[in-house]
Amino acid sequence: MFRRFVISCVLISAALGSSARTRPHYGGTLHVEIAGDPWERPSGVARRLVYDGLTQLDANGALRPALAISWEQDNNFHRWQFRVRSGVRFHDGSSLNSAAVAASLNVSCSANCPWDTVKAVGPLVIFTNNSPMPSLPSLLASDQFLIALTGAAEGKTPMGAIGTGPFQVTGFNNGVLTLAANENCWAGRPFADAVEIRVHRAIRDQWLDVGLGRADIVDVPAEQLRQAQQQRLSVRSSPPVMLLALQLSDTGTLADVKVRAAIAAAVDRSALFNVIFQKQGEVTASLLPQRMSGYSFLFATERDLKKAQELRGGLGNGTITLSALGDGTMQLAAQRIALNLHEAGFNVQMATAGVQHTDLVLRRLPIAGVDPAAVMERILWDAGMPQAVTEQTPGALYKREQAILEDRRIIPLLELPLGYASGVRVRDLHLRADGTPDLPDASLEDAR
Amino acid sequence: MRAMRLVGAVALVVCWWSVFAVCSAQGGIPGSRWTQPVAELAEQIADTLGPGQAQLTVRNLSTIPGNEVPAIRKLLEQDLKARGVLAGGAESANMIRVTLSESERERLWVAEIAEGKATRVVMVRLDAGQSAAAVATSQRVVLRKEKVPGLADRAGTITEQNPILAAAEINGHFVVMFADRLSVFSSASGEWTETNRFAIGAKMARDPHGVLIPASDGGSFASYAPGTQCTGSYSLPLNGTTQDSGWTVRCHASDDPWPVYQSADASAAPALKAFYNTARDYFTGVVTPSIGVDLPPFYAAGMIPRAAGGAALLLAGVDGKVQIVENGAMRAVAGTRDWGSDFAVVRSGCGAGTQVIASSSGEALSDSLRAFAISAIEAVPESSPLAMTGTVTALWTAQDGKSAMAVVRNSTGEYEVDRVSALCN
Repeated sequence: MFRRFVISCVLISAALGSSARTRPHYGGTLHVEIAGDPWERPSGVARRLVYDGLTQLDANGALRPALAISWEQDNNFHRWQFRVRSGVRFHDGSSLNSAAVAASLNVSCSANCPWDTVKAVGPLVIFTNNSPMPSLPSLLASDQFLIALTGAAEGKTPMGAIGTGPFQVTGFNNGVLTLAANENCWAGRPFADAVEIRVHRAIRDQWLDVGLGRADIVDVPAEQLRQAQQQRLSVRSSPPVMLLALQLSDTGTLADVKVRAAIAAAVDRSALFNVIFQKQGEVTASLLPQRMSGYSFLFATERDLKKAQELRGGLGNGTITLSALGDGTMQLAAQRIALNLHEAGFNVQMATAGVQHTDLVLRRLPIAGVDPAAVMERILWDAGMPQAVTEQTPGALYKREQAILEDRRIIPLLELPLGYASGVRVRDLHLRADGTPDLPDASLEDAR
Repeated sequence: MRAMRLVGAVALVVCWWSVFAVCSAQGGIPGSRWTQPVAELAEQIADTLGPGQAQLTVRNLSTIPGNEVPAIRKLLEQDLKARGVLAGGAESANMIRVTLSESERERLWVAEIAEGKATRVVMVRLDAGQSAAAVATSQRVVLRKEKVPGLADRAGTITEQNPILAAAEINGHFVVMFADRLSVFSSASGEWTETNRFAIGAKMARDPHGVLIPASDGGSFASYAPGTQCTGSYSLPLNGTTQDSGWTVRCHASDDPWPVYQSADASAAPALKAFYNTARDYFTGVVTPSIGVDLPPFYAAGMIPRAAGGAALLLAGVDGKVQIVENGAMRAVAGTRDWGSDFAVVRSGCGAGTQVIASSSGEALSDSLRAFAISAIEAVPESSPLAMTGTVTALWTAQDGKSAMAVVRNSTGEYEVDRVSALCN
């Protein structure tokens, strides 16, 4: 009887005392740990906290206004004008205006830009180019064109990283980058008061810290997503938003397209997928993913060693250098590719760290967005092969992509997701269209 | 014997017609929606290949149900034959490989046409299908939702994702409060279209909220947004002599307290006002006039009439607790564990007469609404959950007092306004 009474009391008090899930709370400090550099491109976590672009992609990848409130093109996409949002201030209190935007863009893109000129005219930023720029608004959402205070507009050089974003840098000590909420952010103050980013932290230590409550958000590399789930971490992973691709030089040993085609036929994507990346993401031979184009399956992904040997013939006898941009997993993937090429008769040498130019470069390229033409143009831009993509129908896009890939200067290999694990304090953590965590909209359960 | 033959003949005819009907049902009906794209694809294939024989394969990489693929193939074979292309066996030198594919935006049917070593590709695009909404039924009250068509931000092809904070129907128009403006929508052929805009200069917030209170005169309103208060009124424009819309809206910076609920009695003015923390997007708990109890910070409040007379104040606290203030005391309300931060009090006339429509706690991708009766200090469900099409970002009592208005943000970030009625079951 007494036992029943006690159980009833416990149940009633639990029912009365339990709290409902509410709107997100303001306050608290988000503790983030990352394996890489917070400022690195394309997915450095601090970049989108401190800076905004003229445009941005929403969570679904659709293009939205950011520091520009509207834009329009004329002269058949040779000229664009963007109207700058009024009332926005940089973190140092200075006003954002079209001159500051133009100055920032001239600093971030001084050569091989998608435009010939960018200039400020009243509240407008005007871009002009000899070639059409149909996807310029989408390109401006990429993290290369985030707007920073350069000081050029006012004739002085600012100290530190100053943007208009939801957080401002307050310091960097002992490997921890600290940022404070921008109370006057044009998009509204972020929920968290501050973000602390511990950089260059080993993945194992990050997972230990999130388990012990010392970290709120940590990295989960694509190849360790399954392992993180097995360890019962609260994992969030994006759709495949990174294209793993091999870029080929078209000079020296690789000047002949047949040699480049032989390399494309020799690479074993399934080994990379199964072994190196632990079956995460998708195997691909196209720039645009199937979910975006609907025709990706038309590009064959199978390895054809015999064809590779035939194509190579007596060509490509010199040493080919290969490098990988990124972490240890990328180095492993590059070594696996070197092995594939060796089997096809190529003499491949892995470049040592710091070597700038190699014949082959393994890299990741962002594939965020919903407009296939704009996404393809962005991939080509990031790969250093800038060209306007004006095709709109799937048939025309397919032909264009086929023509680009037949040149064998870029070989798509895999589409990879980005992943993160979060602690119990974190709520409303969503990933952006580019796969990075949307920290300004995340809040903490225990904040009030 | 003749009778038996007659019966046998009739049975045969009936049987034959049955088989025909079944075949029509299985092959004709699913195939009919694909007639147009199949014809387009067949035409492109025939134009590319020319008359002749080819081996045809069809594979499905899309969300089209597998049992519809044979009908599509059959239609394709018929259309190809009509254009001189015969789907032959494995011995054909030419090959047509059709893939029913799709992207996130559309279906895409692709035909790879192989002639010798050369392969050519043709494609046909199809629109993806649509889905329909539902009504939740059960228990004492039935919640029914009805979208108010056209109430959205349509500034042009490049639109800011401008949240809707509140809306009210005033004098035959809909006044909608967006984060940056008040807009007047007028009705044209069953759809509301934006006819006037008035900037309000409110402070932008990560979780913006606002209140729009129609006046009892039926022709004016007051609105409250972070840092800004506006009043608006409508007077008939002089017919044919002016382009004036008849709407006048005046705004000024203000930290004055906001009305915290729209009374279920349409003619009654909101009795309680509360100070709003514009930096944290919640009511501070300081109310005017004072009710003699220190209130915690809260997101939503509403007045519940009591059967014995009088009323109680219901609060959804920032801490997630739902509490009721009655007779100078504040007590927790049981049964509100699944409540979100918003609710509206409606006078349905069902059961106890008044229900609280509360949003769900937001764990799922889409929120739901559910009607509750508040008996003493317990919330008792009186309806099944009504699934909404996204996240409920605002919820308040409509002017009629019998229904609630909800703002919903769907998965693509677009906002819509739904009227949610509580009907007796």
